[in-house]
Amino acid sequence: MKNNSELHKQICEYLGCDLNSEPCKQIQDHMAKYPNCGVYVDKVKKTVNLYKTIDNCDDIPENVCTKLFTSLNIDDVSKSDKESAG
Amino acid sequence: METKTQLTEEELVARAQKGDHQALSQLVIDYRSRIYHLGLRLTGNEQDAEDMLQEAFLIMVKKIHQFKGNSSFYTWLYRIAVNIGLRKLKSKPLKYQHVSIDDPDIEYISSIETAEWPTFDFNQVSQKHFRKKLDQLIEKLPEIYRTVFILRDLHELSTEDTSKILQITPSNTKIRLMRARNFLKEELEKLVDKEGLI
Repeated sequence: MKNNSELHKQICEYLGCDLNSEPCKQIQDHMAKYPNCGVYVDKVKKTVNLYKTIDNCDDIPENVCTKLFTSLNIDDVSKSDKESAG
Repeated sequence: METKTQLTEEELVARAQKGDHQALSQLVIDYRSRIYHLGLRLTGNEQDAEDMLQEAFLIMVKKIHQFKGNSSFYTWLYRIAVNIGLRKLKSKPLKYQHVSIDDPDIEYISSIETAEWPTFDFNQVSQKHFRKKLDQLIEKLPEIYRTVFILRDLHELSTEDTSKILQITPSNTKIRLMRARNFLKEELEKLVDKEGLI
């Protein structure tokens, strides 16, 4: 778990504020007074990271790719690259 | 992205606009996975995702000569794909009943005793049952929040690009994202309590 000072810095960076700006000072004051808010922010971040982990965008079924290129009526250059390399 | 050529995206687009099929093919390769997964998340099923993928790229091929470069190419393509996905969603009956989406209650958060979460054991994520539960939570989100969460957090588009694609203001995008994140965090918390997933 990150401490509140680290979280405060990250929130300010996320908000695009100067760390000494009034909104940042207010966040710092608030989090010093209410540490549960730091826990809350940490949980939101872990939730988002969890979803990023399960959302693997790298793969796509081969038959879907084949049908895609057929419907577009163009050649898949990644396949012709492999064929010429082989 | 799966770029295998030395050409930049701008160069590929310029060549594709002149009818170069190899450049067109490379653009399809670069974005097909992201558009397919965007479709899976938006529509919740493989057939609709495949239809969305084909339709989006057919429009891309047909209209690429109209792309003026006022936004990045992927923003232009995402806008096409998201519009197709949203149209598909609207044509189907709602899978889930209405759920209430609230802003985080700062006073409540500040006052309650909140137990910290340790770092998640990501090995759990690969378990089919857990993944299914997480997928169900995201599907419970009303469309206007889900689309923002998918574009901003899962596909890592900027606030500006997300706003342009969804044709909403940047502050509206931020509010929707905050509510979506809060909703998923609350639901995940219930799941953790109920099933002891950590």
